[in-house]
Amino acid sequence: MDSIAQPTAPTVPSQARHTTAARPLAARAAALPWYLYTTLFGSTSIAVGLLWDISWHATIGRDTFWTPAHMAIYLGGVLAGLSTGWMALATTFAGSPADRAATVRFWGFRAPLGAWVVVWGTIAMLTSAPFDDWWHNAYGLDVKIISPPHMVLAAGMIAIQLGTLLLAVSWANRMPPALQPRLSLAFAYASGILLVLVSTVVLEYSEANRQHSGRFYVVSAAVYPLLLLAAARGARRRWGATWTAVSYTVLRLGLLWILPLFPARPLLAPIYNPVTHMWPTEFPLLLILPALAVDLLVQRFGTGDGPRRDGLLALAAAFAFLAVFFVAQWLFADFMLTPHARNWFFAADQWTYYNRIDTWRHKFWDVDIDPVTPVKLGVAFVLAAVSARLGLLWGNWMGRVQR
Amino acid sequence: MIWPPRPILRKITRLPALLAVALLTWGHVGSPDVFFEGKAGPYPVRIVVRPPLVVPGRAEINVRTLAPGVSRVSVQPVVWNAGPEGAPPADRAQPVRGDARQWSAQLWLMRPTSYSVRVEVGGAAGTGTVLVPVVAVATRRLPMQRGMGLLLAGLGLFLLVGALTAIGAAVRESALPPGEEPDPGRRRRARRVMAGTALLLGLALWGGRVWWRSVDRDFARTIFRPFHLTASTRAAGGERRLTVAIDESTGGSRDWVPLMPDHGKLMHLFLVRQPGLDAFAHLHPVPLGPDGTFETPLPPLPDGPYHLYADVTHENGFSETLTTTVELPAAETTTATPSGAPDADPDDSFRLGAAAAASGGTADLGDGFTMTWDGPPGPRVAGAEAGLRFAVHGPGGTPAVIEPYMGMLSHAAVVRDDRGDPKGTVFIHLHPEGTVSMAALQFFQSQQGGSGNGMAGMSMGAMHPGVPGLPGDGVLSFPWSFPRPGRYHLWVQVKTGGPVRTGVFAVEVAAGRNSNTENG
Repeated sequence: MDSIAQPTAPTVPSQARHTTAARPLAARAAALPWYLYTTLFGSTSIAVGLLWDISWHATIGRDTFWTPAHMAIYLGGVLAGLSTGWMALATTFAGSPADRAATVRFWGFRAPLGAWVVVWGTIAMLTSAPFDDWWHNAYGLDVKIISPPHMVLAAGMIAIQLGTLLLAVSWANRMPPALQPRLSLAFAYASGILLVLVSTVVLEYSEANRQHSGRFYVVSAAVYPLLLLAAARGARRRWGATWTAVSYTVLRLGLLWILPLFPARPLLAPIYNPVTHMWPTEFPLLLILPALAVDLLVQRFGTGDGPRRDGLLALAAAFAFLAVFFVAQWLFADFMLTPHARNWFFAADQWTYYNRIDTWRHKFWDVDIDPVTPVKLGVAFVLAAVSARLGLLWGNWMGRVQR
Repeated sequence: MIWPPRPILRKITRLPALLAVALLTWGHVGSPDVFFEGKAGPYPVRIVVRPPLVVPGRAEINVRTLAPGVSRVSVQPVVWNAGPEGAPPADRAQPVRGDARQWSAQLWLMRPTSYSVRVEVGGAAGTGTVLVPVVAVATRRLPMQRGMGLLLAGLGLFLLVGALTAIGAAVRESALPPGEEPDPGRRRRARRVMAGTALLLGLALWGGRVWWRSVDRDFARTIFRPFHLTASTRAAGGERRLTVAIDESTGGSRDWVPLMPDHGKLMHLFLVRQPGLDAFAHLHPVPLGPDGTFETPLPPLPDGPYHLYADVTHENGFSETLTTTVELPAAETTTATPSGAPDADPDDSFRLGAAAAASGGTADLGDGFTMTWDGPPGPRVAGAEAGLRFAVHGPGGTPAVIEPYMGMLSHAAVVRDDRGDPKGTVFIHLHPEGTVSMAALQFFQSQQGGSGNGMAGMSMGAMHPGVPGLPGDGVLSFPWSFPRPGRYHLWVQVKTGGPVRTGVFAVEVAAGRNSNTENG
C-alpha cells in the first residue's frame, strides 16, 4: 500500500468557511465545522440509545416504538441524516465553487463523501423500521440482537458512524499537516463510537461467562483488529487506536455506571429475577491494552512504502492483538466471576428479569463444547491477520480522503 | 448478561417432567379465541381473550361486566411455572367508548406456554378476581403482503444503488484534492470496484435470503399442529366398530405425552356425516392398549363419509382436537355383542336428521321436550357475540330441569359447513363456561391460592347466580362468536328427563369486521 498521501497545500475547509471566512486558518481549524457537531451528537445519541435499549429490554421488557431509548436512536439517525442532507442541498444549490470543489458527485448532487454515507445510513435505519415491525408480526417479538431487520438497522447505524468518521477525517486532511494531529480527536471519538456499535452487535458472544470459550476469541479476532488498525493508521496522530479504545471504554463505563442509578421494574411475565433498577450493560472489554500494542507496532513499522510492510505489520499486529487480548481478557474474566467484581464499579453478576438465578451465573459457559484450543487460536490468528490487513487498507485510504 | 445461558436451556429441555406440569388448551379447529363466562367475586363477567398468532405477541383482552357497579378492571398475565410472584404489575383495562360495561386491554405473552390471565374487577361491591387459562402458541405463518413487499424491495434497491454510487464516488473522487477532476484511470478503477462491490452485496443479499429462509423454517417447526389421527371400521359379531389411532410421532416440535381424562373420558369423539351434516354422534372410545389406538361400538348411524373430531387432553394439560375422516359401512341386521370388545360408553349419544331449527326456532328433543334458540331470527355476524342462548322445556311447556352431564351443565358442538372451502373448517366443543379447560383452571386456582372464578369445586349451582344458563330456569347460554362467515350447524346437548337429548340448529353467518380470515 502507498504511503499516506499528504495534501500538497493547505486547503481551506470549505464548509467551515460559512461563518469563519475572515479568521486566520489556525483559528478556523481549531473550530469544528457545524455539521461535525450534529453528526457526532447524532452518533453518540445512537450509541447511547442502543445500549439503553438493550438495558430496557433486560429490565423493563415491554417495548413500543416510543420508548426513550428508541427515541434516542432515531433522533440521532434523523438529526445526522437531516443535517448532512441539508448540507448536500445547500452545497449543491447554494454552495460556492470552493464548497463544491471539496465534494463528490452523487446522482447530480454534491456533498462530502461522509455526508452521503450518513444519509445512506439514515435511510437504511428508516428502512429497518417497517421491516422489523413486519418481522415481529411474522415471527414474534424477538429478544435477540442478531436478526435480519436488526442487521439492516445495524448497517444504517454503522454507516452513520462511518460517515461521521469520514467527515471528520476529510476535514482534518484538508488542514495543514502541522495542525492535523490536533484535529484528530474528533476522529478518535467518532472511531470510538463506531467501536461501541460494532462491539454491541457481537455482545451476545462477549459476556464474561463466555470469555473462556473459543468462539469469543474467534469473533473478537475477526472484528476488533480491523477497527484498531484503521484507527491507528487513519488518525493523523500517534496512539490513534488507543484513543479510540479510550473513547469506547469511557462511553461504555459511563452507561455502566449511570444506567443502574435509575429505578425500574419488569413489566412482562415471566419475571424470574425481580430487578429493581436498569440493567447496567456489560463491563467493557479491555481493548485499551491490545490497542496500545497495535499503536506501538504501527509506530515501529512507520509509514514507509508498500504492501509488503503492511502485510508484515498485519501479521505482527494480529499476533500482538491476540496475545494481549487473550491474556488480559482471560484473566479479567476470572476476576469478573469472583465476588470482588460484584459491585457498582465492575457491575458483575447483574442479570435480566427473565434469567432464572442459579449457580450457572458464577461459571464459565460452553467450556465443555467450545473450549479454547490451539486450532481455535490458530483460526483466530488468521482472522485477526485478515482483519488487521483490511484495517490497514481502510486506514490508509482514510488518511487520503479529502472530500 | 442477557441471553439465557445455553447450559441452562439444555437443562430445561432435558426436563420433560417440568413440561408435564404445563397446562395448555388448544381444543378447537379454526376458533382460537378463548371465551369465558363466570364471576369475579360479586361481579358476573364475560371475558374474551384473543391470543397472539405468534409468540412473543400481544393478546387482546375484552371484559364485559354483566352487572352494574364496576368502576375498574385490571388484567395480569401469570405464567404457569412462574406463579403470581413472577407476574408483572397488573395493567388497567380501558373502558370501551360508547359501552360502559366493556373494558379492553392488551397483554404481552412472551413464551410459548400456558398462562392464566388474572382479571381483577373493582367497584361498589368491592373487588373480585377471576382467572382465564390461555395458551400462547404460534398458529400461522404471515405471508409478506404485496404492499409491504414492494415497499421493502423499493427501499432495498434504493439502498443497493446508493451504496454502489457511494463506493464509486469514494474511489473516483474522495481522495483527490479539492477541485481536481478524476482522470480516466480513476474512473475505470471506480467502475471495477463498483462491480466487485455489486458482487459482494449480491452475495450478502443471497446470504440474507438463506438466513431468512432458515429462520422461517425454524419458525414453521414451532407452529402448532395436532397429532395425526386415522380411523377405520370393522364388523364384529354383527356390530360396526370404529377404531381411531393417534400417530404419536407427528406432533412436530412437541413430544408425545400420554392422555388424561377430561370430564372423565380419555377421548371425546364427534362424528358429523358429510356432506349434509345430517347425522351426529358424541362418543367416548376407550384405548385398546398403550399404542394410541381407541375403539368404540358405533350407534345406528347411516352409512357414508364422516368427519371426525377427537378432543383429547394430555397429561401436561394440553388439550387439542385431532381430525380425520372415515367412510362408515351400512349397518348389519344382527345385534349380537362380541365378547371381549369394549361396550358403548353410557354417556355416548347421537342424533340423526339435518338441522331443522334456525335461530328463533325450536328443535324437538323427543318425549315432549323441546329446545328453543332464544335469539333473534336471521343471520349472525362473524366476530360478534353469537347469541347462543337456548331455552329447554319439558312436556307441557314448563322449564326443564337440566342435570349435570359429564360434569358440565351442557355440551355443544359447532361445525362449519366447509363444502368448497376445506381450509375453512371450524369445530368447537363448548360449555356454558366457554371454551376454557376446567383442569387448567383448577391448576391455576390452586397455584394462586384459590382466587377467583366462583368455580372452585365445580359447584355449578353456585357458579353463576343471576346469570342465564343455570339449572332451574331451563336456559343455557354459551359465550362464543363465530370466527368466520359461512353456514354453521350446532348440536346442543342436555340431560333432562332421563337421557341425553340433542337439539340441532343451523345458522348463516355473515362476514363481520372482526371475522377470522385465516385457519387458526
